[in-house]
Amino acid sequence: MAMKCEEAGALLDLHLEGELPQELADRLDRHLLRCAQCAGELRSLEQTRSLLRKALDPAEPSPAYRERALARLTDRLAPHLRPAADQDVGRQWSLPFLTTDS
Amino acid sequence: MNGRQPICDARYEKRLVARFQAGEHEALASLFELHVDRVFAYAFHVLGNREDAEEVCSEAFLRAFERAATYRAECPFRGWLFGITRNLCLDRRRQPRLMLLDIDESERIAGHSDDSDRIAARVDITRALAALQPEHRLVLTLCDVEQWDASEAAEMLDKSVAATKSLLYRARRALRERLAEAWDEEERDGT
Repeated sequence: MAMKCEEAGALLDLHLEGELPQELADRLDRHLLRCAQCAGELRSLEQTRSLLRKALDPAEPSPAYRERALARLTDRLAPHLRPAADQDVGRQWSLPFLTTDS
Repeated sequence: MNGRQPICDARYEKRLVARFQAGEHEALASLFELHVDRVFAYAFHVLGNREDAEEVCSEAFLRAFERAATYRAECPFRGWLFGITRNLCLDRRRQPRLMLLDIDESERIAGHSDDSDRIAARVDITRALAALQPEHRLVLTLCDVEQWDASEAAEMLDKSVAATKSLLYRARRALRERLAEAWDEEERDGT
């Protein structure tokens, strides 16, 4: 059965996200070929998303911030963490050949 | 996802949290690396500037780790971290000095050395985005700029995936209308 504009309109965003099952995507494509209004609607949504992506860069924490923040966390959470030396000892004692003699 | 860590599966995170609770520093570092990009990006898009985003991000991690360290049972670390981040951002936005701040246009377009038409388009889009409702702006920046998938954005926004998608679709249309209005106006004014 041919798709109507109302049904097509509800599927445009899913089509844009690439989330439509193949069969529905094919039916929608057939509708879009015949319906300039729905095709224009999809095109304008695509352009809006594309303009937005070109206009703004993703926000990323700087390497300096990452380093600083992690150092501060380690410092502030020190009471909850085992000292590095203990962690090394723990690793050694978990080795079978070191535990057999004890 | 722009090379970011994929959102981790719950079992992996659970193992890291257990190791952190046992006092392993490496687990703390791994949990931080796992989530820092998302927490920072969310805070940056809500608060509009890097300095506040860094402060909120650091504080959110500290509180989530402190809670995890004192909570002996299994803990939903990511849920706590994202919830704390949302609340800290909300508090920050309520502070009077930040009420007037919005997305910092100069920071958003800095570093682009394109021709003037493209820079003008970027300014138009940034302005149109700034004129949207905050939750429309946020979902657009998370899903369309940061390119998180809807389930990742839903988790950070504390909404269902369906509600997040519906919000995104409305937001995209709202942005399109804003841009169309702005560009119609420009054409009428002959600028």
